[in-house]
Amino acid sequence: MRAFNAELSKLFSLPGIWFAFLIGAFAPAAIAALDSTAQKEEIIAGVSTRLLEVGYIGLALGVQGVIILGVLAVSSEYLTESSESGGGQQITTSLTVVPSRLRFLLAKAGAVSVISILLCIVAIMTTVSATHLVLGEYTPAFEWPKLLGAVCYWTFTALLAFGITVLTKNGMIPLAVLIINTSVVSFSFLLSKVTKLALYLPDRVGFEMFMFLSNRFLTPFTGGVVMFAWVVVLFIAAAIVFHRRDVAA
Amino acid sequence: MLTIHNLVKRRGTQEILSGISFEAKPGRVTGFLGPNGAGKSSTLRILLGLDRATSGSALINGKPFAELHHPLATVGAALDGSGAHRMRTGRAHLRWIARAAGLSRSRVEEVLEIVGLTNAAGQRVGKYSLGMGRRLGLAAALLGDPKILILDEPVNGLDPEGIRFIRTFLRERAASGNTVLLSSHLMGELAETVDDVVIIKHGKIVADGTLEEVIGNHSSLEEAFFALTSDKAGDVV
Repeated sequence: MRAFNAELSKLFSLPGIWFAFLIGAFAPAAIAALDSTAQKEEIIAGVSTRLLEVGYIGLALGVQGVIILGVLAVSSEYLTESSESGGGQQITTSLTVVPSRLRFLLAKAGAVSVISILLCIVAIMTTVSATHLVLGEYTPAFEWPKLLGAVCYWTFTALLAFGITVLTKNGMIPLAVLIINTSVVSFSFLLSKVTKLALYLPDRVGFEMFMFLSNRFLTPFTGGVVMFAWVVVLFIAAAIVFHRRDVAA
Repeated sequence: MLTIHNLVKRRGTQEILSGISFEAKPGRVTGFLGPNGAGKSSTLRILLGLDRATSGSALINGKPFAELHHPLATVGAALDGSGAHRMRTGRAHLRWIARAAGLSRSRVEEVLEIVGLTNAAGQRVGKYSLGMGRRLGLAAALLGDPKILILDEPVNGLDPEGIRFIRTFLRERAASGNTVLLSSHLMGELAETVDDVVIIKHGKIVADGTLEEVIGNHSSLEEAFFALTSDKAGDVV
């Protein structure tokens, strides 16, 4: 519990995390508002084919906030001080304070999960409000199970970003790949044109939890289980590598 | 008490430590000396559980670091630089450590006072000079008021005042029965501070004894060091 508190304290005292909070809290609302505005006429005329997706699209595409959170939580440990400052890394301090590497990783993953859940709840509030603001009485009802799915999607995405960064030690690659994947072009979407197995990739399968997909192939619950399985596998891989790795290596 | 026994570390085909053994005893300052790249930092990292030994043991009061119940209250360590993230303030850095070890916030203010960083505690670590960073690292090492201190190059980058502070401070720690192990490649600064000397070269111990024993017939610790570590020198004393 102490290690967990320390991880929360570390995250809240990093300025970069506040940037992640800002993106996480408002990007989904902005996307949802833009999408609602674009579709407003069709929705009012009752001919929109994407009515059910309204709002959720913001939560699907606006996960960058928790991606930054998951990546920074790990990459900040490995950020090397300039050579004039002695070239140290925070990870050496962290592991002399919490010697058990597994406990350290679990505490960090726990802190990332809790913050992701809270951040997604804030994002849901801003997104629902923004959608109401644009569509007024035409806003479709938001269902609790779907919103819960969105919270799971955010948390699992943050943990995937976390696990990948433990493996790479450097934040740039996971940050670039994950943000491009969620905002510009989805690699799992491209791959799914080649093989249907790509639908089981974590980001795509996670959509099953809360998006109204025309090509749905799993129940929301099964989608969540498959995405969680990805998280578990990646976490185990990260824990094994982290346990064996020399800090100096 | 720190006990290093037959410690071997290989990385790939390179042998960094070839079976070194030595002790650091309570009430004494042990200087762990050697040229850059001799294996000093690797030894300290293994002692702190940060790197893994290929074989042999490095024990703190008879236990590996990972098995200590209250690591921060047992051993304080300061390795490279400050060990802090540059975007965090000095105070915030010490506060998360205190939180992880279950120590109070007032202890954070105490150690800031001890190392003379109280006025700079609200600044980001990235703005610190090398010397201030080292002081922050030392403050973190002192948080749990440990009986053992392990310091990697503690006087590196310090101004004369800082060096004097470290010397006096470490002498006081040892005088009250604590164990101090410090590594350095600077001989002049150390001769007045250490009781025992261990000299390492290419991953092998070439001298181990009290300051007087290691200096032997040489005129100073520095002379002895160069005689022992220059490539022409013979082996063990």
